[in-house]
Amino acid sequence: MTEYLVRRFIQSLIVMFLISIVTFGLIHAAPGGPTQIFLSPGLSQEAAKVQAHNLGLDRPLPLQYVKWLGGLLQGDLGYTFKNHLPVGQILWPTVGHTMVLMGTSWLLSLLIAIPWGIYNSTKAYGWSDQTASFISYVGFAMPTFWFGILLQELFALKLNWLPLSDMWTIDKEGQLGDLLLHLILPVSVLTLGFLAGYVKYARTSMLEVLEQDYIRTARAKGVRESRVIYRHGLRNALIPIITIIGLDLPILVSGAALTENVFNWPGMGRLFVEMALAREYSVLMAITIVTAVLVVIGNFVADLLYALVDPRVQLGRKGGTAA
Amino acid sequence: MAGCSGSSSNEPDVDKTDTPAQTEPAGDKSSDAETAVVEGTPTDGGTLTISSFSDIVSANPLFIQDTSSGDAAFFMFANLYDLDRQGNVTAEPWSLASEKLEISADGKTYTIKLKTTAKWSDGQPVTADDVVFTFNAIRDPNVASPGISQFDKVDTIEKVDDHTVRVTLKQIYAPFQYVIASAIVPAHVLKDVKPEELLKHPYGTDPAQTITNGPWKWTEWKQAQNLTLEADPNYWGPKPHIAKVIFKIYADQNTEVQALIKGDVDLTQAIPVTQVEAVKKKSDINVVLEPGPLYEYIGFNFNADNFKDKFIPFSSQKSRQAIAYALNRQGMVDNVLKGTGKLMNAPFLPGSWADPGDAVVNYNYDAEQAKKLLAEDGWVAGKDGILVKDGHRFAFELQYNAGNSRREQVAAVMQQNLKDVGIEMTPKAIDFSAWVEQNLTPGKYEAVLLSWSLNNPDPDSESIFSSKYYPPNGQNSGWYKNEKLDQLWTDGYSTVEQNARKQIYAEIGKEISTDLPYVFMYQYGLPEGLGPKINYAEEDAPEPTLPYGYFFHINKWWVDTK
Repeated sequence: MTEYLVRRFIQSLIVMFLISIVTFGLIHAAPGGPTQIFLSPGLSQEAAKVQAHNLGLDRPLPLQYVKWLGGLLQGDLGYTFKNHLPVGQILWPTVGHTMVLMGTSWLLSLLIAIPWGIYNSTKAYGWSDQTASFISYVGFAMPTFWFGILLQELFALKLNWLPLSDMWTIDKEGQLGDLLLHLILPVSVLTLGFLAGYVKYARTSMLEVLEQDYIRTARAKGVRESRVIYRHGLRNALIPIITIIGLDLPILVSGAALTENVFNWPGMGRLFVEMALAREYSVLMAITIVTAVLVVIGNFVADLLYALVDPRVQLGRKGGTAA
Repeated sequence: MAGCSGSSSNEPDVDKTDTPAQTEPAGDKSSDAETAVVEGTPTDGGTLTISSFSDIVSANPLFIQDTSSGDAAFFMFANLYDLDRQGNVTAEPWSLASEKLEISADGKTYTIKLKTTAKWSDGQPVTADDVVFTFNAIRDPNVASPGISQFDKVDTIEKVDDHTVRVTLKQIYAPFQYVIASAIVPAHVLKDVKPEELLKHPYGTDPAQTITNGPWKWTEWKQAQNLTLEADPNYWGPKPHIAKVIFKIYADQNTEVQALIKGDVDLTQAIPVTQVEAVKKKSDINVVLEPGPLYEYIGFNFNADNFKDKFIPFSSQKSRQAIAYALNRQGMVDNVLKGTGKLMNAPFLPGSWADPGDAVVNYNYDAEQAKKLLAEDGWVAGKDGILVKDGHRFAFELQYNAGNSRREQVAAVMQQNLKDVGIEMTPKAIDFSAWVEQNLTPGKYEAVLLSWSLNNPDPDSESIFSSKYYPPNGQNSGWYKNEKLDQLWTDGYSTVEQNARKQIYAEIGKEISTDLPYVFMYQYGLPEGLGPKINYAEEDAPEPTLPYGYFFHINKWWVDTK
């Protein structure tokens, strides 16, 4: 197990290193670099060059990369180009905000989807199952931002029951009740999106398991139906679901730029869009790295959970399945 | 003036204009704006919430070049001089200057007299040292202030006494009075900072360290969320009525407009024209439709290297005039801009003092006239209906920035209009940032659809049209050269006598509307929305054609506190 952990850790480091090089290269290959920021019509090329020099932007890219990486290893995410703010100061609050929004939506969708999927597997093609299918199709097909605007129009403007956007009312910052009110609409949008997939997975996975020989055997032995489903069936059906959940973990921080924009949620997705437009590479790099770390951790957690629910999987021997 | 020194700027997009601009007041206001006028006594207190489409970069006046930062700084800083509704440089009770700007008889020396009462928010007096420090910082290339080119005609800056500063120019440069009508920074806070370190200094990004001298002081900045400003109890000038000003940042324009409708925000500067009708339906929101100090144009490129076979299809005056006649500009204003624009034929905003009015050539929508001119120019219809001359088709590409729906729609109309007279124009959308870097700055394109935002009411546009300002260092990105105009632009700013200038600009208007380096399209603007909480007297109503005119006299506005 220790050997597995160490190997997995080293693999992750290599992956992260490669990701950082690729992103750094890609970002700098895009036209309209950070020096372009200074090329306002008012600023002459010479002045822009002076400014770029002051900020170290005229140095060769590999040097800039090494300097950036060195900072990163010491926990320093760097500074924004335009106004020299520490990237961490801008980034970390948004990570928290995104996790509140995404975490709530994601947990809620799991809490609904898994029991519902299981129930539907026992009554396949019943009205509940049909409803779930319908909702899934809607959830998959409807653009989330559009659904968001629809909800805003109805609940915030027409009925005036809920806040239109933002995380808090400006003078009520930090109040839980106010936060919950602001969460309702964006969480509804995101939950529907997640739910669409999970309810289908849970149902299908369960249906497959219920057709297995060992289930038939258990039933033949006269085991109670509830015990067949929850003791024998569920445990096996959860395995593929856990894999998917693990792979989805990074969504918790990265996945909702559109929804965040529509609801003006001060999260990381919104920040990424804004910073991409402003060509603030240091922030973009930081967001990419944070997301990459989470992908790696997510995969890792999924593997661990996998081993927990499936005794046949022995991590030490099997090694990493997904890096 | 639009020109040399960054007094004007490319306008990237309907959503985010660059530097706020300025021009002449156009006089008559849209009647909608008047509905906020309230008879009654102003009340003190309350909060004004303003929506903003992007976060500020820095409130340090030395480095401001984006709209959001400029807007926030407008509340925090007093200016040396302010503009009255007609766009004249004036010493108002809230200006730092105590009396009218004094310009010497030879037009080269400007004397600024400061009020002795003005103070910074830390209690220090505002003095001549602050003015001298600010101007010198802007002039220092190591500071890299975007205002640097505005000071390139300055010879000396001297402190006469604690409250008097004298600026001497190397040559007469009439627009300079608008350069002076600006904010200054506190020398006692920044004088020991090395010039190249100024951009990195927390002055302008840390509210606690940003010592200001305006009616409101900055108390909080939550990045990408909101900024809070509160009336400064130590403010030296006439006290503002509004106690607190919040800038709320919206990432999505639709949400921003909905927030105005719902009442989450009280003021939105830029309602997309497509949403104006929806906002107007809420009868308690005032929509100011008067266009702002920006105009859109088709810019031709005159550098043959940019064309296939080095053939410029619109190289002759007649061909460019034909294009101007072929375009249904009024139709575009009516249908795409929903009426919120005014046609132009020269680079002077309609109604401004330099506007030559009827002295310029007016291009009505007249396809027959266009065809006639093209025929006279030697163009004949080819097999596919597109005109041909000397074996070359009349075809060119028109670039604009991707995501700008106004330009996208306008370009589509143009394409059809031009096809009707036998010209093949292909619109091409390019990401703004890449466009600036690869096409606009180096002057590499065939034609562009773009706009200028005028930073002040002066008509000077030398840096856009003079051959002194070729790429990559100048804004004449179309490589236009007209010796007569080159001379006239210089003449235009080489006297401070307004009537003499007016005649010169009339002549420029005549020449430029005949020669057409651009097809001037229309003055336009983004309608401002004012919520029901906002009140002001009639003389303090917003003045969209001025820089920061959407906040005109906001220190006299008041909000309902209930």
